[in-house]
Amino acid sequence: MNQRYPLIAATMIAGLSVPALIAASATAAEPAALRPDQAEFRGLYKELVETNTTLSSGSCTLAAERMAARMRSAGIADSQITLFSTPEHPTDGGVVVVYPGTDRKLKPMLLLAHIDVVEAKREDWTRDPFTLIEENGQFYARGASDDKAQAAVWTDTLVRFAKEKYKPRRTIKLALTCGEETSGAFNGAEWLTKNKRDLIDAAYALNEGGGGRSDADGKLLVQTIQVGEKAYQDFTLTATNEGGHSSAPVRDNAIYAMADAVSKIREHEFALEFNDTTRTFFSKAGPLYPGTIGKAMAALAVNPQDKAAEALVNQDRSLHSMLRTTCVATLVQGGHALNALPQRVTVNVNCRMFPGRTSDETQAELARVIGNPGIAIEQRIKDKPIAKVPPLDPTIIGPMEQLSAKHFPGVPVIPTISTGASDGVYIAAVGIPTYGVPGIWADSKMNNIHGLNEHMEVRALMDGRDYLYALVKLLSSK
Amino acid sequence: MPRTLAIALLSSVMFAAPASVAFAQQRPDQQAFRSLYKDMVETDTSITSGSCTTLADKIEAHLRARGFTDAELTRFAVPDHPKEGGIVVVYRGTSKTLKPMLLVGHLDVVVAKREDWIRDPYTMIEEGGYFYGRGTSDMKAMDAIWVDMFERFRQQSYKPQRTIKLALTCGEETSWAFNGMRWLSENRRELIDAEFALNEGGGGRTDGHGKVLQQSLHVGEKMVGNYRIEATNPGGHSSTPVRDNAIYELADALVKVRDHEFPLMLNDTTRAFFTKLGQSRSDEAGKAMLAIVANPQDQAAEAVLNRDKAWHSMLRTTCVATLLDGGHANNALPQRAGVTVNCRIFPGVSYETVRTALETAIADPRMTVTKLDDRGPLAKPPPLTRQILAPAQALVTKYYPGVPLVPTMSTGATDGIYLEAVGIPSYGPPGLYGDPDGNGAHGLNERAIVAAVYTGRDFLTELVKAYADPRGR
Repeated sequence: MNQRYPLIAATMIAGLSVPALIAASATAAEPAALRPDQAEFRGLYKELVETNTTLSSGSCTLAAERMAARMRSAGIADSQITLFSTPEHPTDGGVVVVYPGTDRKLKPMLLLAHIDVVEAKREDWTRDPFTLIEENGQFYARGASDDKAQAAVWTDTLVRFAKEKYKPRRTIKLALTCGEETSGAFNGAEWLTKNKRDLIDAAYALNEGGGGRSDADGKLLVQTIQVGEKAYQDFTLTATNEGGHSSAPVRDNAIYAMADAVSKIREHEFALEFNDTTRTFFSKAGPLYPGTIGKAMAALAVNPQDKAAEALVNQDRSLHSMLRTTCVATLVQGGHALNALPQRVTVNVNCRMFPGRTSDETQAELARVIGNPGIAIEQRIKDKPIAKVPPLDPTIIGPMEQLSAKHFPGVPVIPTISTGASDGVYIAAVGIPTYGVPGIWADSKMNNIHGLNEHMEVRALMDGRDYLYALVKLLSSK
Repeated sequence: MPRTLAIALLSSVMFAAPASVAFAQQRPDQQAFRSLYKDMVETDTSITSGSCTTLADKIEAHLRARGFTDAELTRFAVPDHPKEGGIVVVYRGTSKTLKPMLLVGHLDVVVAKREDWIRDPYTMIEEGGYFYGRGTSDMKAMDAIWVDMFERFRQQSYKPQRTIKLALTCGEETSWAFNGMRWLSENRRELIDAEFALNEGGGGRTDGHGKVLQQSLHVGEKMVGNYRIEATNPGGHSSTPVRDNAIYELADALVKVRDHEFPLMLNDTTRAFFTKLGQSRSDEAGKAMLAIVANPQDQAAEAVLNRDKAWHSMLRTTCVATLLDGGHANNALPQRAGVTVNCRIFPGVSYETVRTALETAIADPRMTVTKLDDRGPLAKPPPLTRQILAPAQALVTKYYPGVPLVPTMSTGATDGIYLEAVGIPSYGPPGLYGDPDGNGAHGLNERAIVAAVYTGRDFLTELVKAYADPRGR
């Protein structure tokens, strides 16, 4: 869950009035006694979490081998297990497992999870980040939530299928990869799309990014399906000037030119746009929001030209970002001496491009807005693909909703786009539509992923696991 | 001579002047001087690889060999900066009532890299009428002239009315290291006490072909003040940006700093400068100069002069953004953004006045404006007096007939600022001269005009005597 903003958490939980919410199952008090299959799953999850997979001191390769061993001992043939790593990144490996289906005409489905975690320093944590600790109904550890909960559930699902000798119609593939949390290191999902495209080929992929959210009291409020994400790009703006001695300054100055440019970026609003996902989100989530913003969301979904509604919705920064490409100045640097006029000033403009929008068109719009050909604009990320927007396919969304109604009665299921970015971008870019699944839920603080004392509610994981197991079974059986 | 501009801005002005004084065959006293000058240039006194203390040692040895005694020589250096020492020499006068005068020079030079230069920067080479070497121009020619002058005074058993002091210090070219002149002004005020001081900053410029076009008397300078303007913000994730952003707030402030014009000011020196220059030119700018002196409210004249960045800066305090920083990650909203504003403050205006003006111009209570560096107490602008001007004018007429003498105020800063802060007015006398390109001072292949060094030496010797003997001989 790299660079992801917890959209739902920020917008809805803050905005929702508790009485307006859905009757959900009772909040967790005592940890329920585990069923035998849950106890076995807990062991797998513990082993994965306790295998350090940080870039600095861990090994994804080791974690992948351990998960592969579990599946092998459950009866999955060696021939169906592909461990991979590159000589340059020997500890950034992963694994792909193929669980064959009976119907050769059905394209496979792909389960995707990353097994690397964000760095965690022992001295900063209350507890050892790489020891799974259960306390007051919570699991604590780095990766307890992001994304080893999902990785463990997918692995456990195949382990159970193998033990049950389940014969799906659709082939199920699993890819556990490394490098989602890092930028510039080895990315396993990207590597697979470039080097093992056939191995991971699928009709669609299920990934992180969806899931439920609970409120401060632990009550499950909503389940989400992530359908597409905004694309991430950094633009480097550079202003240059001949400079000179600061004792005789002139108006023409690289810092001032850049001040004008960033002011124009602030004033510029990219055009409002909807896609199927966000239109559905706005109409479905609108009623859950209190007061005028909720009504405005619903109105805007019906009529995107409703300026009054847009103005109301824009007051919420997450909704504002969901409705358009956004660009914001995040870093500035310029000049070389206290007593010299600046010769060079750079600004990083971080853009989150609406699904389907390209870096080139965003760059062209920035250039037009700045209106100063003296300011150079360069794309910082040149090799990252633009994700294709996955369709709101009823054959996928339908089962997710049906099962949610059964497992989480009364809890709405809402499609969202992410304003951040996940590995789904690589998979989606090679034509495999990728969806973030509902099921496991996070609390109002997003389980403090990436931060200190990352945690995962035991019930959220166990109930989510039941849901996901059922979902994979349902989707693979037809 | 860091950050001086006033002289260069005269360079384009064409005065009718005779050919420069032809350079005569070296006299024996000039040969002795040349050897001292060469030794000083060839002693590396850059902050990175050199030592001012080593050069001060050599100067002390030189003076002792000519009969200077412990009572006349004071060495100084601080333990933290052992290589940045200097020397003060006191040549006693006969008068009990006349206050001493002080000659000033900095021994340090700007760093020079051998690989960047055509010649070794620390070997003095004479070629095509120039002395080449780091420091030949800035400012070991004047340093050597001062030391050599003291030696000749002793040889000649010269008895000035006024006591003449010489302070040779380190650290003028650096802003972060030890500054000897500041240290003396703060720690040995009595040792350098004087009615006035003579320093670098004045001098003449040629047309680039050996003809001296004008001579200038440097009277006062703007002060440097650095300020930091900073905005802070809670920040957040960049995927959901908001309008309230430290970089944007800072951008607003920068636009206001750019658009803020400090009020026009004139003092005796700049009035004299614009009068002299205005009289010498018949164009629109010349008329504007005379008009602005007659009526500082003349906005049309001001607008004409503001088109020239050097004149614009001479007419007011200026502040300009020079260093910008902000943010901490590509994908995070900035929590802090700041800019350093470099101000050149008109003589007599306080640091706090400028800080308040910036704060008022920005008019955003979320921004902080703080003064960054400690540059000591406020300098008192030196007065443009007849006592100083008249002897200089007489000698310009003698040595450079037909060449005008123009009082200038520099928009940059010299060590004179520290003397003025403790009440010793500092002047940059005419006498030496250089080419309009600055003779590579601070840059590559620094050089001094041979004829200028010898003529300037004679000129300055006469000038010092004229100041030292105000009652005549």
